[in-house]
Amino acid sequence: MKIFSKYISKYLLSYIGLILILVVLDIAAFVFTFYNAVSKNFGNSSPQNTLEEVAESSSADGITNDAERMLVSNSLWAMYLNAEGSCNWTVNLPEEIPTEYTIQDIAVFSKGYLKDYPVFVWSDENGLLVIGYPKNSYMKITSNYYPIDIFRKILIFFLGIFVFDLTVLFLAYSYSKVQIGKKTEPIISSITALSEGKCISLNLNGELSEIADSINKAAGIISRQNTARANWISGVSHDIRTPLSMIMGYAERIANDQNACNQIKEQAACISRQSVKIKELVQDLNLVSKLEYEMQPLQKENIRISKLLRSYAIDLINSGLPEIYSLEVVISPGSENSEIDCDAKLIARAVNNLVQNSIHSNPKGCTIILALQITLQAAKEKLLLTIQDDGIGISAEKLEELKNKPHYMESTDDRLDLRHGLGLLLVRQIVNAHNGTMEIESKLGEGYKTDIYFPYTAKP
Amino acid sequence: MEDLFLYSKKILLVDDEPELLRLVTDILLDDGFRNIIEADTVRTGLISARQDKPDLAILDVMLPDGDGFALMKELRTFTNIPIIFLTAKDEAADKLAGLGLGADDYVIKPFLPQELLLRVHAVLRRCYKADSFILELEGCTIDFSRAEVNKNGTIIPLTAKEHTLLQTLSRSEGRIVSIDALCEALWGDNPFGYENSLNAHIRRIREKIETDPSKPVSLITIKGLGYKLNARK
Repeated sequence: MKIFSKYISKYLLSYIGLILILVVLDIAAFVFTFYNAVSKNFGNSSPQNTLEEVAESSSADGITNDAERMLVSNSLWAMYLNAEGSCNWTVNLPEEIPTEYTIQDIAVFSKGYLKDYPVFVWSDENGLLVIGYPKNSYMKITSNYYPIDIFRKILIFFLGIFVFDLTVLFLAYSYSKVQIGKKTEPIISSITALSEGKCISLNLNGELSEIADSINKAAGIISRQNTARANWISGVSHDIRTPLSMIMGYAERIANDQNACNQIKEQAACISRQSVKIKELVQDLNLVSKLEYEMQPLQKENIRISKLLRSYAIDLINSGLPEIYSLEVVISPGSENSEIDCDAKLIARAVNNLVQNSIHSNPKGCTIILALQITLQAAKEKLLLTIQDDGIGISAEKLEELKNKPHYMESTDDRLDLRHGLGLLLVRQIVNAHNGTMEIESKLGEGYKTDIYFPYTAKP
Repeated sequence: MEDLFLYSKKILLVDDEPELLRLVTDILLDDGFRNIIEADTVRTGLISARQDKPDLAILDVMLPDGDGFALMKELRTFTNIPIIFLTAKDEAADKLAGLGLGADDYVIKPFLPQELLLRVHAVLRRCYKADSFILELEGCTIDFSRAEVNKNGTIIPLTAKEHTLLQTLSRSEGRIVSIDALCEALWGDNPFGYENSLNAHIRRIREKIETDPSKPVSLITIKGLGYKLNARK
């Protein structure tokens, strides 16, 4: 949505810029054209200048020859009327122009035309100098009177028009922006969802339906590919299970066989241990890929985490946890009855992966504590599940690597030094699927601790 | 010891993979079971179940002429024997747990022999333990049929709650039972905040069964988790 607003704003700005440039160009063209037209005159100068010139070189008694020539060569005519209204002298006067005038005649022609000749007048102390131009050479506006208020208001009027136009433009802009936003928002959000690997189906009418179709098609292809990949992994891990059962079963039998010699027993025990690793890998792989491609619907119900932890711990101890490991469950009083909406099997799986990590990395034994408490994180109540051991821990570099190095399941990189092991990845996926967050703390020789924060609202 | 009577139980194995069938049989024989019946299809499984009347069935989910679930439904029409599923799929386990088909347990392939044995023993013990009404403890004997404790010749009666509690513990004798499971056995679902009452009941039971109630040897507290009932060794 934002991207599109920016896009539209950018285009609108350039559009407005273009309008401004056009206006400037128009004004320039106008000025250029009409400057020529206005400056184009009969004779060498404007009627006003000609009038002044002639007035200077003439008087009530006559006109100089130069001025007379100038008038004739420009096809102009002139006459001088005295106070009585009769001509003192004339130059080049057309026949239809009379030589006697009443005061009314003068009042009528002085601002306009005399027998359709545009005339210009100059008055001095003795009379009136009249210069006539050819017919249709100039247009005189004779009724040029307007209320003075109009001229005062005209500036405000133009300003008002300008503001009004701008407002209309802006409204049109906002409207089209909202419209485009409305139409494109589902497209953008579904592309975003698609890029996050989510499943989408877009339903649009009108001009954009083609885009929607293409996006749906792309989503279909991606989802089919994801399904195929998850199915492939699930199929492989399924087919590996029965043969692996065989290997594990017989390796274990040989390891416990009274008749076998010690060396063979040890080797069988080694096969057995390694098969267990493959088994864990296969189980994790399947679930990781399903969570990754969202093929595993979460079976959420309200679960008391305290109960889940106790039951997990008891199962682990009852199934024969070696004596060198001690497992404790510490539930803070406030969190004893805390329930969260979660998939119990997945949470137990996450806890198990972390506990197994502690067991595997501390072959000499350690104390593992599963703790539950309610805590505040960023001013919000959270249910904090801590899985902690007092074992050998990991170095700062290892910890950094664990936190930042991409995992091979999640990387499209060709690099070979990606992070391996699925256990922790699965934990993170499970935590993410429950909208939780996870923090790892560890120092060499000071144990390993994982904090998992789940969103939590206390029940009244 | 305690589990010896379990080894006389007859176990029906149904799996279409001959090698796996062989392996599971070997594992069970090694452990001490003596009566194993093998079948490789739903059809032969049903015939064996009718003829040999096994005490426990271990079924593979994928069979050539149907699946284990269908076989279980057939079995349930004429017998109530416990059933353990062997499955190669996590989903199958989900289905079992989710639908509550009445299977007693399931083992996901691949499995370690001990894992399978642990479940077989647990299921058999749970289903056939009721046979023995007398539990021998260190310093006393509990007679469940009469709800009595016999401590050095003194007969001490058990209340109903104490009886339920001891029975729940004795079914998982030697192993931890969670506080939650005990509360549920006593007060049903959603037993929030009953821990204190549970503690009181445990205290009273100890006074009845322990030689020195302040130093319990039979009814042990596992801090933060639950309790464990130890039979006489």
